[in-house]
Amino acid sequence: MSTLKTTLTGYAGYRGREGHWAFLLHRITGLGVVLFLTIHIVDIAFVYFQPALFLDALALYQTTLFGIGEIALIFCVFFHGVNGLRIAYFDMFKPGLWSIEMQRKTTRTTLIIAIILWLPAAVWMVRNILLHNYGIVLFGG
Amino acid sequence: MAATTETVRRVKVKPNYEMIAWKWMRYSAFALIPLVWIHAILQDVVVGVHAMDLGYVAERWASLFWRVFDALLLGFAFAHGVNGLRQVLNDFIHGEKGRKILNWSLFIFWLAIFLIGAIALIGGVNQQFPLE
Ligand code: HEM
Ligand code: HEM
Ligand code: HEM
Repeated sequence: MSTLKTTLTGYAGYRGREGHWAFLLHRITGLGVVLFLTIHIVDIAFVYFQPALFLDALALYQTTLFGIGEIALIFCVFFHGVNGLRIAYFDMFKPGLWSIEMQRKTTRTTLIIAIILWLPAAVWMVRNILLHNYGIVLFGG
Repeated sequence: MAATTETVRRVKVKPNYEMIAWKWMRYSAFALIPLVWIHAILQDVVVGVHAMDLGYVAERWASLFWRVFDALLLGFAFAHGVNGLRQVLNDFIHGEKGRKILNWSLFIFWLAIFLIGAIALIGGVNQQFPLE
């Protein structure tokens, strides 16, 4: 298991600043979304195989706990998407620009774009949870 | 300090499986932006899970456009995600034998979940079930 330990201490101990954070966040968000997607394909497939179970799954998605998970999911989808575009763009069209300075700058821009895209969605989802689960009308009731 | 000149040498490599997988991650990325973002924003933010039931899915899948959209989403997003998972696990699993087992396991995992999704997408909402 020494490779496991080496890899994990590498993940945690490497001090690459923005490049390091971007790598970790891209991994965590990507893994979070595949995990969700695997469950999601099965729960949607219940509409064909076991409709009663689909309704149970839906009830679960409507709880506050899952609602918070969904707000996190939307962030993952935005950050991973913007950062993935950044990676794909540099790799395929501008490989010469992979410099440390450029990475630091574009990583910060990526994070800012992701947060700007995510915030309005997150506010609206908090509003939905408060409205449907607690009867609290924040706005637009 | 001695002056150095930089020359860029371009080489043609015969495409192998890993290179195709690497390119796939990048090409699919461009398709995934509209697919995943539109779907997630529409379902989770605009409509919201509180407004959903079996009738909602039946209504959506009555439209050929959204069925094709979901088929593309299923094809692109899940293959991208499972290949990404393979990339991550390659950091932990070395050696030819381990990698072989990993590749096959993930392929079977991908195929099983993909088929479940595809069958449901083609079959549609089960009409045997009493919709209230
Ligand atoms: C739609 C559902 C959900 C999504 C998309 C989601 C997504 C995520 C993601 C991406 C992370 C970060 C992973 C990491 O740091 O390694 C995370 C962490 C976490 N989630 Fe969720 N989540 C969901 C539902 C839930 C639910 C229902 C619970 C509670 C039972 C939960 C409990 C946690 C905990 C405790 C952590 C922290 C794990 C850690 O510190 O390593 N999540 N979630
Ligand atoms: C929590 C947020 C989400 C909700 C509430 C949601 C809701 C739904 C619903 C109601 C359907 C049924 C068909 C339709 O209405 O078009 C569906 C299908 C689907 N969704 Fe989502 N979705 C969410 C997030 C995502 C994400 C982030 C992805 C991709 C990464 C995704 C991928 C898919 C796929 C592939 C299908 C087709 C499933 C099949 O073929 O059986 N969804 N989703
Ligand atoms: C929204 C559009 C998306 C874009 C632009 C995108 C882009 C990318 C790119 C370019 C990579 C390769 C990174 C590298 O090799 O350094 C990657 C990795 C990955 N993606 Fe995506 N992706 C998107 C959506 C998704 C979705 C929906 C999932 C989950 C189903 C996902 C899961 C993953 C995983 C697990 C990895 C591997 C992470 C790693 O190696 O650290 N991505 N993505």
